[in-house]
Amino acid sequence: MKPLLSIDAVRTAVQQLPDNGLAAARLAALTRLDADGLPTATHEDWKYTDLTRIVDVSNRWLAAGATTMPVADAAVAAITDQFAASWLVIRNGMVDARSIAKFAQSDVRIDLLSASDKALECDAPLSGLNVALLQDGLAIRIPANIEHAGTVGLLFIDHAAADVGVSQARIVIELEGGSAADFIEYHSSTGDAAHYANTVIELRLADGARCNYVRVQDRQAGHDQTGRLTATLGADSRLQHAAFDLGGNLVRNDLDIKLVGRGSATSFSGLYLAGREQHVDNHTRVDHLVGPTHSEQEYRGIAADAARCVWNGKAVVHRGADGTNARQANHNLLLSAAAEIDAKPELEIYADDVKASHGTTIGELDQGALFYLRTRGLDEAAARCLLMRAFAEKIVVRSPLPAIRQTISEKVAERVAALIVGDAK
Amino acid sequence: MATDPDNIENLVNRRYRHGFVTDIESDSLPPGLDEGVVRAISARKNEPEFMLEWRLRAYRHWRKLKEPTWAHVHYPAIDYDAISYFSAPKSDADRPKSLDEVDPKLLETYDKLGIPLHERARLAGVAVDAVFDSVSVATTFKAKLAEAGVIFCPFSEAVQKHPELVQKYLGSVVPQRDNFFATLNSAVFSDGSFVYIPKGVRCPMELSTYFRINAANTGQFERTLIIADEDSHVSYLEGCTAPMRDENQLHAAVVELVALKNARIKYSTVQNWYPGDENGVGGIYNFVTKRGDCRGANSKISWTQVETGSAITWKYPSCILRGDNSVGEFYSVAVANNYQQADTGTKMIHIGRNTSSTIVSKGISAGHAQNAYRGLVRVMPQAAGARNHTQCDSLLIGKDCGAHTFPYMEIKNPSARIEHEATTSKISADQLFYCRQRGIAEEDAVNMIVNGFCKEVFKELPMEFAVEAQNLLNVSLEGAVG
Repeated sequence: MKPLLSIDAVRTAVQQLPDNGLAAARLAALTRLDADGLPTATHEDWKYTDLTRIVDVSNRWLAAGATTMPVADAAVAAITDQFAASWLVIRNGMVDARSIAKFAQSDVRIDLLSASDKALECDAPLSGLNVALLQDGLAIRIPANIEHAGTVGLLFIDHAAADVGVSQARIVIELEGGSAADFIEYHSSTGDAAHYANTVIELRLADGARCNYVRVQDRQAGHDQTGRLTATLGADSRLQHAAFDLGGNLVRNDLDIKLVGRGSATSFSGLYLAGREQHVDNHTRVDHLVGPTHSEQEYRGIAADAARCVWNGKAVVHRGADGTNARQANHNLLLSAAAEIDAKPELEIYADDVKASHGTTIGELDQGALFYLRTRGLDEAAARCLLMRAFAEKIVVRSPLPAIRQTISEKVAERVAALIVGDAK
Repeated sequence: MATDPDNIENLVNRRYRHGFVTDIESDSLPPGLDEGVVRAISARKNEPEFMLEWRLRAYRHWRKLKEPTWAHVHYPAIDYDAISYFSAPKSDADRPKSLDEVDPKLLETYDKLGIPLHERARLAGVAVDAVFDSVSVATTFKAKLAEAGVIFCPFSEAVQKHPELVQKYLGSVVPQRDNFFATLNSAVFSDGSFVYIPKGVRCPMELSTYFRINAANTGQFERTLIIADEDSHVSYLEGCTAPMRDENQLHAAVVELVALKNARIKYSTVQNWYPGDENGVGGIYNFVTKRGDCRGANSKISWTQVETGSAITWKYPSCILRGDNSVGEFYSVAVANNYQQADTGTKMIHIGRNTSSTIVSKGISAGHAQNAYRGLVRVMPQAAGARNHTQCDSLLIGKDCGAHTFPYMEIKNPSARIEHEATTSKISADQLFYCRQRGIAEEDAVNMIVNGFCKEVFKELPMEFAVEAQNLLNVSLEGAVG
């Protein structure tokens, strides 16, 4: 029998949260969570990812009093110093007020979610859990026709020592008509105890808005994460997104993009590099509600050791969304007999003036290319490393923020090297 | 393959030509399903005890099952107690010994359908085991096949004459408990074909069965079992047409193929059951479980299907690649027009070493139809050197139809090479423009382009089927163009 989330314990934890503007939303989410429960493997969207571990960690954390541990400033600085960005920091699910203060003079408007009147998205089961246990979150607004210079950093950092930890975080980002902004979302964690982080980002692009967005997840080896990004794109708006999953234990990402305005377009990509017994699941869904709209995605993954990587890409072209283009690509390297790749590229098309395609490949490193590199004097490990980096770099060069590409490229190289060592074990 | 445009035009403008009911007295069980019905079916067929027990086990399990809802199809709930589970053409006791004894009305029916029985069959080199509703009434070319040692007979006859083979292989590919519809079939299957190709034999002719649903309110539950022993070879053709009627008819067939060492089985289907009228009224519900087991090393199973009929199609001809170096193939054209719904595809399960599979699926949607490809490629950890290539393309004709793909890839061996590609688009304006400026009428041009789109699959069909398939395609798209 799989452990069920202890709703009574969640209720108790909800009652202990600060009584702010989120109280009503929390109770509504709790009621819904109680009715629907968390998904199991019988749900098509959760066929390959078992939430037992996450439920177990959550129950232990709730039983231990749902406490939050402090995160050291040094750990925060270790991340923020790597990237040229102005950082908003969320530590163990708690908004760092000092980081908001730094934006006082900026053209970016930042409020606490509890002080805003935003209706929170609660459609997915884990999104409901997120609202129920949310201390507070951030509402970010880029005013109309403002092109924000520089990159806004969103750091989710958690610490779990001695006891289990769980954190919930949510950020609502609104780009008003004709505005533009760049974001980097970074997930990091420290500490040896079990930890589960659940984050939700709601992105709303009004007509003509432009957004570049990069997500990097580099959590501690034993830490689990579920993340969800929902985006709504108005007419002629653009969203470019890239995601890098390097660390963590059980990782599940949901990317849910709705193209609601004519002429809107999105391009997104992802790279997942998994070793050990990591489980990395990327689910993407694009809804083309009107036409013409355009979506393009490419995900690449490497599974080594006993890792399991899942990619499920779905493009839905709704009735009347004529003139739509939807492209999906997914390429995987499977490097070990104990590893597994599951891929599921789906198209659901209800309009006829459509061009949609997907391509998926799964295989090992090209033996011919390996041999060639060996004849040029590279040893086995160096040759493998070079080919894996070349494979991964395709996503790095696609990522939308050129200023941080080099840093990401180095992190990717580091992770690839670690996978090779794991391989040789 | 070149197609005469005049011919296509005639076909496009023609209504479903196989829509008629032959008025023959039927011997049916009253509607409803309980243990008594299962016992009655078994008793009427004089089945041995093991068969009855097998049916009853399936029936008892089926009672615990729920109808699956995961397919991308929608239909009103089926009342399984409103269906009659057995219908045999009159006088089971004195079944015809030869074609002369066959009811002339029945032969007339075959004649209308253009089935190559007796002379035509001989000329075409085709042996026909025609299933009319539930009981096989005419079997030809027995002598020639017997000479080669090939057993090709109605399933009910095989149960009597070759119980050891039936007992050994029945349910060994599609287990009784496989799924809702296969379990139902296991309990109440009426009849079907049985084929056994002995060791080292290359079947001297292509084997063909025409299935036809006739009596009203009768579910048809065929069961086909084909066993190709070591080093043997067989090509089996299945074609279907059905009378026009307004009530939905349930069809839940099971086909099991067993290929032993070095054996090859080619299974081709042209399915043209009544799809319902332009408004989606009537039509056959076609819930079929087809699976082949490449049990021996170097064996090969190839499925080719042209699906143009049925109101609802739920069908996934699959291959279990158990033997080392075994090969599985799936070539499919699925056409859905008006209010037809199809959820079809394949499963390739790689278990042996160096196994390979090819999937080519072409889906065409027109009118208000919904057409989905659903496929699974699974490579087990021990399946070193597995190879799969999947191509699934969809063509949309009209703004109200839908085309969907749901491919699953589950890969657990690093030496696997898996490639999947899919495209969905409407007929290219460039191609159409080119044809038009060469003086080809729009409708002909569309038919030509559609035929070209399906060419990869048609070339896998045996010659006589390829011609029929092209015709069927055009008939099926009738009214969808222009």
